[in-house]
Amino acid sequence: MTDAWVLPALPVAGFIVLLLFSTWLPRKGDWIAIALMAASFALVFPIARDVALSIGNGNFQGVERSREWLNIPGYIEIRMGTFVDQITLVMLFCVTLIALIVMIYSTGYMRGDKRYGWFYAIVSLFVASMLSLVLADNLLLLYFSWELVGLCSMLLIGYYYDKQTAAEASKKAFITTRVGDVGLLIGIIILFTQTHTFNIQDILRMAEAGEISRQWLTASAVLILAGACGKSAQFPLHVWLPDAMEGPTPVSALIHAATMVVAGVYLVARLLPLFEVVRGMPELITALGLTTTTIAVFCGLAQRDIKRVVAYSTLNSLGLMFVALGSGAVGAAMLYLLTHAFFKALLFLGCGSVIHATEEQEVDKLGGLWGKLPITAPMFVVGALAMAGLVPFSGYWAKDEILVGLYNGNLNSIALIVTMISLPITAIYMARLVMLTFFGTVKDAHVHGHAHESEPAMSWPLLLLGALAVVSGFVVFEGVGKALGFHSGFLGFIFNAAEGPETFSVNWGLAVGSVALVVTGLGLGTWMWWGDAEPSKRAAAFSPLLYRLFYNRFYIDEVYQFAIDKIVLATGRVVAVFDRAVVNDSGVNGAGETASFLGWLGKYQQTGKIPNYALAIVIGIVVIFAVAFGYRT
Amino acid sequence: MTSVPQEIPLEQFIVLSAILFSIGVYGVLSRRNAVLVVMSVELMLNAVSINMVAFAVYTAPTLFVGIIFAIFIITIAAAEVGLALAVILRVFRNRGTANIDEIDTLKW
Amino acid sequence: MTQAFFDLVAAVVIVGALGVVMARSTVYAALFLIASLLGVAGVYVLLATEFLALVQLLIYGGAVTVLLLFALMLTHVRDLRERAPEPAQRLGALLAGGGLLAGFITMVYRTRWPRDNGTITSIDFNTIGNALFNRWAVPFEIASGVLLVALVGAVVIAMQEEGEHL
Repeated sequence: MTDAWVLPALPVAGFIVLLLFSTWLPRKGDWIAIALMAASFALVFPIARDVALSIGNGNFQGVERSREWLNIPGYIEIRMGTFVDQITLVMLFCVTLIALIVMIYSTGYMRGDKRYGWFYAIVSLFVASMLSLVLADNLLLLYFSWELVGLCSMLLIGYYYDKQTAAEASKKAFITTRVGDVGLLIGIIILFTQTHTFNIQDILRMAEAGEISRQWLTASAVLILAGACGKSAQFPLHVWLPDAMEGPTPVSALIHAATMVVAGVYLVARLLPLFEVVRGMPELITALGLTTTTIAVFCGLAQRDIKRVVAYSTLNSLGLMFVALGSGAVGAAMLYLLTHAFFKALLFLGCGSVIHATEEQEVDKLGGLWGKLPITAPMFVVGALAMAGLVPFSGYWAKDEILVGLYNGNLNSIALIVTMISLPITAIYMARLVMLTFFGTVKDAHVHGHAHESEPAMSWPLLLLGALAVVSGFVVFEGVGKALGFHSGFLGFIFNAAEGPETFSVNWGLAVGSVALVVTGLGLGTWMWWGDAEPSKRAAAFSPLLYRLFYNRFYIDEVYQFAIDKIVLATGRVVAVFDRAVVNDSGVNGAGETASFLGWLGKYQQTGKIPNYALAIVIGIVVIFAVAFGYRT
Repeated sequence: MTSVPQEIPLEQFIVLSAILFSIGVYGVLSRRNAVLVVMSVELMLNAVSINMVAFAVYTAPTLFVGIIFAIFIITIAAAEVGLALAVILRVFRNRGTANIDEIDTLKW
Repeated sequence: MTQAFFDLVAAVVIVGALGVVMARSTVYAALFLIASLLGVAGVYVLLATEFLALVQLLIYGGAVTVLLLFALMLTHVRDLRERAPEPAQRLGALLAGGGLLAGFITMVYRTRWPRDNGTITSIDFNTIGNALFNRWAVPFEIASGVLLVALVGAVVIAMQEEGEHL
């Protein structure tokens, strides 16, 4: 099998070269980053072929390659390495492909930016970190990569750091995810103290065998889940994701839709055996996912910024993935992750194309762009339909598998009902976004007037992603999987050894029900925002309170702000008083003033006359004489 | 190099050098005029020279390092006196005195 | 005979030195210094190193003393008399000098000195010249460099600056 470490190593090389030399390279060196990214993407295929062959031979448990990193004999041995199994493979494919597409797209979107080389350097570093995150065979390397992707995310959200809101959004994203990351770190440390290893497979084996005490296992599971929630923007740590849209749009597509935010999903999927051992944990994961989904769909209804609506749809999708994980449907979650990467990247890049064309991102000022953007508009609609989950777009198949998973799983049926309710609302706000942006009346003639379709570097990625958003869902069918060289469809591919082969099945009741709900939602949304969108204005006027609640995102940010002001800052003020009075005045200044006072006392011993000093020297010599003779008698 | 009869023991030269050195130290410590302090320093240097030459001729006649040392001491003393004169002149011009106990800006 | 000469020379050296440190008049002190340095030249003669004695006479008795007298003259030593040191400083100086002397003498008496056959080695001019210019050539050249630098430095330091007056 190809050595998988090469995959992250290539973008790291790109990062270093661009960081040091991009100023002097032609085109700021973007072609280096893109070439290395393409090589990295190409190298996924040999790995995929090997995995496919291994699965064909039966009993595939993943391939681990590691080397010694730290060894204190008889005390501790830590190995670092890569682990490749089906989940990893899905992530590798999706990360490298989306990164490549986004990098090509950015050559158009970011052209002429004054920090163009820096952009490509950081994106390369991000891809490298993300790849090493998914390849890590141990929690330590995973944690390093986890922090690195967080760092890159912060740097890229704050890419326009001379803009106040961008600087604050990057700070918010970093601090909010950090809350979760601390949990993750503590969880990893707890697991290490209990198992004396960082190796993920060993830890899972021990957890399943019951070799870790129940309390510690529960504690570490909750803490690691907190880390996953922070990264994947699950309630209550979801507040950073909408603000993260301050970054350049390609970054939103790559990091805040397709790859980094699903790191939490990946982590939970990777450690799912551990979570399932802990009682109540699947229910907790599902509850968090449902809460996030619910908040997201309602907020999505009322947002005015085109990217924010898509950001809330990302929250919505991430919530669904967590729900799927909670119900144990890893295959469904991974399928959703894969298809979501395509259609959400499509939506974001479509947003970017609209913003690029109009230099406007308030939906209130857009409208009637369908004819103006002949490629962007249809592709955006494809993405929106996939997000809404209309058959046969890719989102439908993944979402349907989640519903089947919930139906078959042993969770309370409330989860299924809430998820079903969220479907038409998702459809409504996606319809709203499309209607307000591309149809409806022209609200701002100037914006409408100078709109133009983007250049090929931006429209070809859209077309490619559009195609993927349509067809990627078909991998659930066994025939498609076999045609791609695997032994079964997507679900059987993910669930290989642990629970036996699983095949794609259609629950006709759920399928018809969900399609009916989505169609209803889409129709309702189209009607409400058709033309001058009169029905929607009546709806908003009908309940202004509810509208304000949705528009202000349930006031969660304000609650956090209040808590920070009243609790954190109040504590801080108390500590500050202690710092001023005790540490600074008594400790630091006190020491200085004591020395100063002693010096003030001592300075009058100095006459400044050289003979006095010379006398002191000679007397010293005499004393040394006396002492020396005194000893030698 | 020839041997010369000598009836004075080495100690006498050493004691003479010690006395001269101590008088020089007393002078350095007690005189006020900077020029006189430099003179006292010259006394101390001569004491050291006597010491070295005496040891050289009494104990290590083939090497006579002490004599070479004495020559260098005289050389450096000449340089030192020249420099000292310049410094004293400069101090005198700046402060109107050559008395070192009146130059006490070193103190607080 | 030799012992008597030594006693005489030693008396000149010590009296001269005492004169340097105690004479009220600065010019007298300078003259005492000449006497003392001449006495040291006598000591060198006793030690059978005539070359050193000559150098001593030339450089110390001539150049150095003249320089010092110049210094006295240029610093306007009024009435050429110096005030007595502060009593405390003089007492301290006495104690320090006396203590040092006591220490030296104790050391001399405590040490067992080599008893030789009553002869010393006379080192003639040729030997010293050869040594200086062969074995000690590098230090010799460095010393001459130091001298040059010191004299140039002395000129620079003593040079009259704008606005200064003697």
